[in-house]
Amino acid sequence: MNFKLSSRITLVFVLCLSIGYSQTKKPVKTGNANYSQNADAIVEYIIESVAENLGEDFDYTEMVDRLNYYRKHPINLNKTSKEQLQELVFLNQVQINALLNHIQKNGKLINVLELQGITGFDLETIKNLLYFASINQPTGFENFSIKNMFARGNGDLLVRYQRGLEPQKGYQIPESSKASRYLGTPDRVFTRFRFNYNNNVQLSVNVEKDAGEQYWATTGKKGPDFVSGSLYLKDIRAFKKIVIGDFALQFGQGLTMWSGLSFGKGADIFTVARQDLGLRSYTSVNEFSFFRGFATQINMGRFDFTPFISSINIDASAVFNPISQTEDIGSIQQSGLHRTQSELNGKGRVNQFIYGGNLQYKTKRLAIGVIGYQSAYSEKFAPNDAPYSKYDFTGKQLSNVGIHYNYNIKNTYFYGEAAHSVGYGFAFVNGFISSLSPVVSVVAFHRNYQKNYQSYFNQAISENTFAKNEEGFYTGLQIKPSKKFELISYFDMFKFPWLKFGVDAPSGGFDVFSQFAYMPNKVTRFSLRYRIRDKEQNSPLSTNINFLEPYRRQNFRLEAQYQVNKSFTLRNRIEVMAFKEESDIQRYGFMAYQDVNYNPLSSKFSGNVRLTMFQTEGFDTRIYAYESDVLYGFSIPAYQNQGIRFYINGRYTLRRGVDFWIRYALTQYSNLTTIGSGLDEINGNQKSEIKLQARIQF
Amino acid sequence: MKQSKLLVFFLFVFFSAKSQVNNGPRITAMGGAGVALQDVWAMQKNQAGIALLTKPIASLAYENKFLIKEIATKSAVFAIPVSKFVLGASFETYGVNAYKQTQTGLSLARAFSPKLLMAVTVNYHQLQINNYGNAKAFTAQVGVQYQALKNLWLGAHIANPNSSKYGESTDQIIPAHIQFGGSYTFSDKLIISTEFEKILDSQADFKTGIEYKIIKAFALRGGVSMNPFKQYAGFGLALENLLFDFGISSHPILGYSPQLSLGYEF
Repeated sequence: MNFKLSSRITLVFVLCLSIGYSQTKKPVKTGNANYSQNADAIVEYIIESVAENLGEDFDYTEMVDRLNYYRKHPINLNKTSKEQLQELVFLNQVQINALLNHIQKNGKLINVLELQGITGFDLETIKNLLYFASINQPTGFENFSIKNMFARGNGDLLVRYQRGLEPQKGYQIPESSKASRYLGTPDRVFTRFRFNYNNNVQLSVNVEKDAGEQYWATTGKKGPDFVSGSLYLKDIRAFKKIVIGDFALQFGQGLTMWSGLSFGKGADIFTVARQDLGLRSYTSVNEFSFFRGFATQINMGRFDFTPFISSINIDASAVFNPISQTEDIGSIQQSGLHRTQSELNGKGRVNQFIYGGNLQYKTKRLAIGVIGYQSAYSEKFAPNDAPYSKYDFTGKQLSNVGIHYNYNIKNTYFYGEAAHSVGYGFAFVNGFISSLSPVVSVVAFHRNYQKNYQSYFNQAISENTFAKNEEGFYTGLQIKPSKKFELISYFDMFKFPWLKFGVDAPSGGFDVFSQFAYMPNKVTRFSLRYRIRDKEQNSPLSTNINFLEPYRRQNFRLEAQYQVNKSFTLRNRIEVMAFKEESDIQRYGFMAYQDVNYNPLSSKFSGNVRLTMFQTEGFDTRIYAYESDVLYGFSIPAYQNQGIRFYINGRYTLRRGVDFWIRYALTQYSNLTTIGSGLDEINGNQKSEIKLQARIQF
Repeated sequence: MKQSKLLVFFLFVFFSAKSQVNNGPRITAMGGAGVALQDVWAMQKNQAGIALLTKPIASLAYENKFLIKEIATKSAVFAIPVSKFVLGASFETYGVNAYKQTQTGLSLARAFSPKLLMAVTVNYHQLQINNYGNAKAFTAQVGVQYQALKNLWLGAHIANPNSSKYGESTDQIIPAHIQFGGSYTFSDKLIISTEFEKILDSQADFKTGIEYKIIKAFALRGGVSMNPFKQYAGFGLALENLLFDFGISSHPILGYSPQLSLGYEF
């Protein structure tokens, strides 16, 4: 699922352009809330450059929120901390340490131009950074009072409506037929409210219903389908953070405990070294991998202690246990979809109770943390008895412990984590990032996740969903000889010591990525990308006994972006995917698109259009591309079969603080008479969707 | 386990007949991408790389293939400047008692200018298989290195272009190959090298490697080769006249092959 890379470049272009713009407009000052779409483009670019391995509908709201917040309230680089800088995902650890060391050594930054003298800060990074930071912003609770809070706080209310326009089968089945059908309407409705005071008080509420879900559930747990909320307080005496409600936890490298957003292998090679943000409020609408309860981070000098407690009902399928005559957990469901009666039956069926803590010791160069937590489930896990499930978790209770570290010396940053699930296996990851010269940086890490390592909140870098049953070694290389050229490559080799679904023997493979970019000037960028991945799976030639055969995926991508005038930017991409199983012929997928971006410096309107043509030989040669969307909307569709896709995005700013968005997308297939399968099936060859969104800031 | 590994080894290495000379731990640790690198181990890679040596150097290496105790490659290289030329000699033996390959090489290298280096090499190959007998062959190699930019060396190497064989009685092939590539010096601490290689009747390969000197006397190295996908790592220690290097390669199926070398600069 790593193809989302592709889309990255898109954004890269947008980014370059936007930077170009703002540069001419007003050199380096971020300024307050100049909410042009340029700003959104920066955020979009950053997302695209870090988000590679996540699902098609993954919600990046948390990150967008964070970045948008700093757009409006820039970080004061002279008063910032490592933790805060880590929130800007595009900075790597070597850069963060270099910046903090520079300030420590030379005193406060007096001019942003000083940044150019810091190791590892190239022009692009500086430009990005200055969108979110400056050197003289007031911070903190300095002038806090309740009265101030309401006078100076910001509210933000956003409502989004979206709907597929073609009728799907699941909505047309009459109630009387008793067959499985979608109980709700095809609308997806999302409401989001934020209240912020100086980043010290933050109230978040999300209410969402997916397409097919009922507005107001009438069976089971009544009410809206998904409601999530949290109150987040920061810097109250020793309490650095307090969250009541929904929260996320990210520690170390994500082996023991990491919920919410994480990044894997991609064109931004340095994100393989995770930058943990500790306790966060949970503000996304992904309906899994978060906590509900109470958590706080208490600071005691060099130590930080983060205790947490959570109780939440999660979705799970049921299997009947004939011995105990009870229901066990078949599998945990992460989709968050509750459209049919059977999906509703699984909704919140199992209670997950979690408590634990993380104790962290920090000096300027060294950070060491110890984490431990226990999880208890109201039902027993009962995986199937296929050999590949042999080492899966069974039972109701699990204790996890881990130790994580990072250490910075000169131009090198070392990091790692060791984790253990008590009664089960161990997992380790260790690596480093180093700037070997002003032009060359490397990153390398080794991972060894035992086949019986268990953690529900495990998001370490892995080829699989969870970091288990895997050994591998990754090296990445970035060469930037000048502002105009950039070469990025990574090489990863991995082994899976135990069987996997569809792979009836220990297996292995590799993943190699290389991207060359040429930027002749600030508003033009060309890039060429190649990626090759080999893995093994059961051979289709197997008869009685399955044996493995290798399969290979190769992606070629060529992209160009250039600016026609101050308002229009064009972008093209061509991508070819080749898929080959050893015993079969090579199959191809092809995609080409044209983007037109309209981004005037001073107009209430902005928008973009894309026309894509695609032709793929089946599912294995599908091609992913990141698409522009409304703010906080994300779409990374997989193109398959043969056809044309078109979308248009528009934004209208009525006045400062009041914005509207509209998006229309249409896919027309030339080789299909029905689209989709099961309840999603559409009769016909076209599929379209409309999104409307409004936001009021006060 | 060892038995089966040995069997796999035979299947992969002997019968695919791709057994190649050992490049020494430094070039090996850089993924084998050594066609544009210069040191005494260029004797086993691209002999033009010895042409700029100013002092006699000798080095010995021992490689343990796939951590199987019985299978080792033992190599020795030597180079000495003689007036305008640098003369080089190499010796290598490889295999187990029942199957043994030996290669002896002599090179003549010359710097036609500080930017253009060339070398010719003659190798004498011996193959010895118990109960089957012995076979012998001569092959020739030509290498060139050119400094295209201040920091960029390009290299090319051709081995056994006339496809010499041990004779009609054996299928064992002496590989004929063409290699070319470059090495770029980013700073006095950092070199990155690449190499493209095509072996006759076998697949093409791309290799790349990096060498970083943490301090003057200590270097870390790493590399990859694409076909098959292999990873490499190693380090080197230079103490006065003594050169110590370690390298390890990782084959996706056969596993690790570590090696070390000890050299002396006179």
